[in-house]
Amino acid sequence: MRPFDWIVLAGTLILIILYGVYKSRGSKDLEGYFLSNRSMPWYIILLSIMGTQASAVTFLAAPGQAYTDGMRFVQYYFGLPLAAIVICISFAPVFSRLKVYTAYEYLENRFDAKTRTFTSLLFLLQRGLSTGISIFAPSLILSVLFGWNIYLTNLLMGGLLIIYTVTGGAKSVAYTQQLQFFIIMLALFLAGYYMVSQLPEGIGFTDALTVGGKLGRFNVITTGFEDGSFDWGDRYNIFSGIIGGFFLALSYFGTDQSQVGRYLTAKNLKESRTGLLMNGIVKVPMQFLILLLGVLVFAFYQFHKAPAFFNQYEITRLEKSQHKDKLNAFQQQLSAIDEKKLSVLGDYTKDGNNDGMFAQLSKLQDSVNVIRTGIRQLVKENGGSDNDTNYIFLRFVIDYLPEGLVGLIIAVIFLASWGSIAAAVNSLASSTVIDIHKKYFTRATRGDYSYSKIYTIVWSLFCIGVAMFVSNWSSSLIEVVNILGSLFYGTILGVFLVAFYGKKVKGNAVFTAAVITEIVIIALFILNEYDTISLGFLWLNMIGALMVYLLAIILQITVYNRRSSLR
Amino acid sequence: MYDNDDKPPLFSSWNIWYVLVVLILVALILFFYYLTKKFS
Repeated sequence: MRPFDWIVLAGTLILIILYGVYKSRGSKDLEGYFLSNRSMPWYIILLSIMGTQASAVTFLAAPGQAYTDGMRFVQYYFGLPLAAIVICISFAPVFSRLKVYTAYEYLENRFDAKTRTFTSLLFLLQRGLSTGISIFAPSLILSVLFGWNIYLTNLLMGGLLIIYTVTGGAKSVAYTQQLQFFIIMLALFLAGYYMVSQLPEGIGFTDALTVGGKLGRFNVITTGFEDGSFDWGDRYNIFSGIIGGFFLALSYFGTDQSQVGRYLTAKNLKESRTGLLMNGIVKVPMQFLILLLGVLVFAFYQFHKAPAFFNQYEITRLEKSQHKDKLNAFQQQLSAIDEKKLSVLGDYTKDGNNDGMFAQLSKLQDSVNVIRTGIRQLVKENGGSDNDTNYIFLRFVIDYLPEGLVGLIIAVIFLASWGSIAAAVNSLASSTVIDIHKKYFTRATRGDYSYSKIYTIVWSLFCIGVAMFVSNWSSSLIEVVNILGSLFYGTILGVFLVAFYGKKVKGNAVFTAAVITEIVIIALFILNEYDTISLGFLWLNMIGALMVYLLAIILQITVYNRRSSLR
Repeated sequence: MYDNDDKPPLFSSWNIWYVLVVLILVALILFFYYLTKKFS
């Protein structure tokens, strides 16, 4: 990074911290600290929900995903608007009427203490680990790209936000997310503008989309059907997106305290509902635009020489290894293909609808894919991470964007991380204080506020600790832990569905059903990992939720009702 | 601190909001389908 990049990066981060501390005034008790005194308008709720959901990896991985696999990832969000409606009808009114601090508090009212504790522990386990990974994942990418020390980067990524999260609680989290969102959108807009402006003369935005589309990157809608049968292992298609995505979003927004805690800060039910519904309206187009950046990067690299592998660190390692000759051979083949591509694309400005030209380009792209697979294999054999998807967008940023904008994009990585980590830490602390500490250790209200701050620090340190710990592991861990949510969300959602829609089911039945389901979900995940079955991870949410619901009803009728009638 | 106002903004009922959200989703899917066909 150049000097002005450092100034922009440091200036942006300091601005956010100072703004967060400034907004921390007024949080003097538990309701102020965890729920902003229930005073937030819908637009703050909306930005807070969006800021919590979109982590740094969202902005790094999504363009890379579109570059390698096309736009079909957007279908993953199709279930979200439908889930927002169900939450507005069933979840939000109950939480607001009972004036709960956490979603799990409601479960004790409805069932019993053990069900509340079980679900809150599942949440704490899942959210604590995944937040650690949310710190580690962008830190790893930045440390690889800039040669920064991974432990120091982890500390900056997860540590600086503690200043305003501890002092201001939910209010500081919400207001900083608002400012972060505007900075992130501005930076991404500028990046898109520079991408298009650096295309060759005569090639514009729609030309870039045409080139990307003809080479298979504009596959926004896919069905998942291959040779007449549905592929259950296919991760992103319209059916897994609407059905699997619906259950995932319902679990995430309805039962994950990191999100429930955002709309509990609303000043009334109307503001909660409006924020949730507006998120349902804007999330899909926003994600579409972020993915579009990946298509633009892809089109850009059709007119410019693309790196053989976007993680330069692995290439440098290969160059020093026994595989260097094979790597050189691959790179020479790529250079030859790049020249052919440029020569074929030379005709584009003369005739943009030339199907023969696109057929040639498509063949050349197939050859590029084969070579990239070969290089990935070499990286793997050399003991490195063969997935460079997360590096694609930042590689472009570093190589082609002007001084200052690079610093701003790196600041975006930090801000996006902080937005989701701060909300997660705040929710982990609220669930620990409300669902565990106040329930099992002390019911006294005196000192609750101090405990809340202590737990916020403890959870921040825990998440940084997880990030430090996994820094010694293989980076492929990121993908495994990204799926972590799907291992627990289905079960938690199932418990809430029984609470709302299974009026005659009682605590023992739902608790037993939840424990059995969790074991089955983990077993299914392991079978999938070992290729015994083929099941996209989005389906685990649906299976988990429906299994808890049906099993709880069956257990209530066949076991628990019978027991009570025998007594 | 907590205000119980739940009258929806702009429309007379929340159900109209829910229908609107579904219609926007359907419109987006149709628009994406059109883009997929146009550019692929």
